Amino acid sequence: MLSSRASRLDDRGYHAPVTSGRLALLSVLTAVGAVAGYTSLLRIAMVRNHPEGYVIAFALATALATLAVARARSRRWIAWLALGFSSLLLVAGAWFNFVGARVPDTPSALRVGERPPDFTLPDASGRPVSLADYRGRKPVVLVFYRGYW
Amino acid sequence: MAELQGLGAQLSEAERAGVEIVAISPDSNEHSQKVAEALRVGYRFVADHDLAVTRRYGLVHAHGGADGQDVPRPATVVLDRDGVVRWFSVSRNLQVRPDPNDVLRVVRGL
Repeated sequence: MLSSRASRLDDRGYHAPVTSGRLALLSVLTAVGAVAGYTSLLRIAMVRNHPEGYVIAFALATALATLAVARARSRRWIAWLALGFSSLLLVAGAWFNFVGARVPDTPSALRVGERPPDFTLPDASGRPVSLADYRGRKPVVLVFYRGYW
Repeated sequence: MAELQGLGAQLSEAERAGVEIVAISPDSNEHSQKVAEALRVGYRFVADHDLAVTRRYGLVHAHGGADGQDVPRPATVVLDRDGVVRWFSVSRNLQVRPDPNDVLRVVRGL
């Protein structure tokens, strides 16, 4: 039986299994980096408005892990683990971005140049706030949102 | 919150005094109001518990919630002093919001 050291000296040359380990590591760093980068930079509009960026990063991580599996000579489980990790993130991320986070694109009642419906709603202290109160006084920015986003 | 933070951070004190930012959601908003106060941004948080107003604006996402409940479609509307819509943006992806710079450009141009 060839020793593990001698098995490195195959027809692919000395570096093949070392490259596999590095590729697996790079794959994991890419995937983790994408998650950390996206969540920590959410405040920046350029990052927040291009969530497909993390899907692309996960796809890159999956490609790197696939390469790691192909190049693996010994301790294959490291490369397979990286592949499992990155492809799981890719599937979950792609589903969330293209399906889960989708909002229907139906027309609203808003029209540029028209007044929107007036309303009276309670604020956090229970005081009523009417849109009509601002007419003739101040411009208003209405933000409809849900939950924590 | 990310959008509201971005907007508030970029509006100067003077501008904030001249523009009212009204944030509407079906959720109880004491928490949101506390967060806004902690961030020192002057927003009015109002509650549309039964989504009646959101529905009148055509901004309801039917059964879009985690429990199948109706939820609002995230949207930003800029009204001038006459209460007329000058610009609006309705999200097609929950993660995406209008760039606060775009909103500010419209507000400053009023």
